[in-house]
Amino acid sequence: MSDLKSQIVEQLNLQEVKPEDIGNDDPLFKTGLGLDSIDALELIVLLQQHYNIRIANPEQGPEIFHSIRTMAEFITAQQQKQQA
Amino acid sequence: MNIYINGTGCISPQETAQIGPLFATLREYDQVRLSTVDPDYKQWIDLKQIRRMSRVVKMGVGAANLSIEEAGITLPDAIITGTAYGCLDDTGVFLNKLVSQQEEMLTPTAFIQSTHNTVGGQIALLMGCNAYNNTFVHRGFSFEHSLLDAMMILEEGTAKHVLAGGLDEITNYSHQILSRFGIYKKTPVKTMALLNSPDAGTIAGEGAAFFTLSTEKGAHAAAELVGLHTIYKPLWEGEVIGEIVKFLEDHDCTLGDIDLLVTGRNGDIDQDEMYEEVAAALFPEHPEACFKHLCGEYPTAMAFGTWMANRMIAEQDVPAAAMFYGQPPAKLKNVLIYNHHQGTHHSMILLRAC
Repeated sequence: MSDLKSQIVEQLNLQEVKPEDIGNDDPLFKTGLGLDSIDALELIVLLQQHYNIRIANPEQGPEIFHSIRTMAEFITAQQQKQQA
Repeated sequence: MNIYINGTGCISPQETAQIGPLFATLREYDQVRLSTVDPDYKQWIDLKQIRRMSRVVKMGVGAANLSIEEAGITLPDAIITGTAYGCLDDTGVFLNKLVSQQEEMLTPTAFIQSTHNTVGGQIALLMGCNAYNNTFVHRGFSFEHSLLDAMMILEEGTAKHVLAGGLDEITNYSHQILSRFGIYKKTPVKTMALLNSPDAGTIAGEGAAFFTLSTEKGAHAAAELVGLHTIYKPLWEGEVIGEIVKFLEDHDCTLGDIDLLVTGRNGDIDQDEMYEEVAAALFPEHPEACFKHLCGEYPTAMAFGTWMANRMIAEQDVPAAAMFYGQPPAKLKNVLIYNHHQGTHHSMILLRAC
């Protein structure tokens, strides 16, 4: 999860936010990091670039991008599917 | 109808965003590329928004805010921006990714931030201004046309306060490309030695200057924007000289009424010839001040020159760093600014103390 945090900080150019400052269960949008819809698009690109994962169903977005933990779980699940 | 400059804001390679006398702390350079002295942009822009903004957007937002703060207003009735290059940095980021990633997985931020009207749009978004918003991308006339639009809107009476300005940035790519055209000097040159440089080429610059214009005189207004005129590709020096005389006549002004000539000399021996001709023919005894050794050459540098002239009128003083010829005049009432960009885009602005 620490790699994912670093990738998010870099991709979204989160100035003055250190990867370790982001809690695993903090909400990424609204109250937590305060990300917005443009950031959501950046996160989709991040998943493609770094993990070769495409989100097939856009309705899953809020669930996947809820927190670092939900993103990491989604990435792990997708990687296991790819390996199977 | 009188058009007053009620507030100004400037971000440039000098410390122009600071409060205090003009060029009190002169930044002297010994290089061919000048970069802006950036203020703390977080005073105007939220951290969450600033992360997406390139330098030119921040410069524009900063200068615009300084201008409306000085004018004592919170919301202009129109925002008009002039920029020749626009948001070059993000354009470069986007195009590079387009090539390197073979047109796939492109991030939205650089694309959104790469258009020329991003600056005007961001200023409006941050101010919450839903009024008229326009951007002029007319090379060396970009700033002049934004002012012209502002003047016409004010004369029509459809707006009370208009925020207009000009800005451009240099990026590594743009500097490299423009250097290939032989526009810049091959070796570094000292700021205060540039205007007497014996060879071709100038120094690159960048910056943003905004003006809050109104038909009502504000508490901080020092000058009126009396007139503006542009000439594209004059055939010869005589055409420019004739146009300056006519421009002054059109505004009930004689050559003798001009207290100070401000020119856009840039240290390029070929390009400065035009200023020599104009000064020799019309203003042989007039004091002359210059600005491009302080801000560098860029298509909207006239915005810096206009900002500087307005500050000189406000302070009734011409700093030694800006003087080129003669003695500073005892009073500054009428100031003529004459500039040309690359010998093709010639413009003149007349300011009058109010």
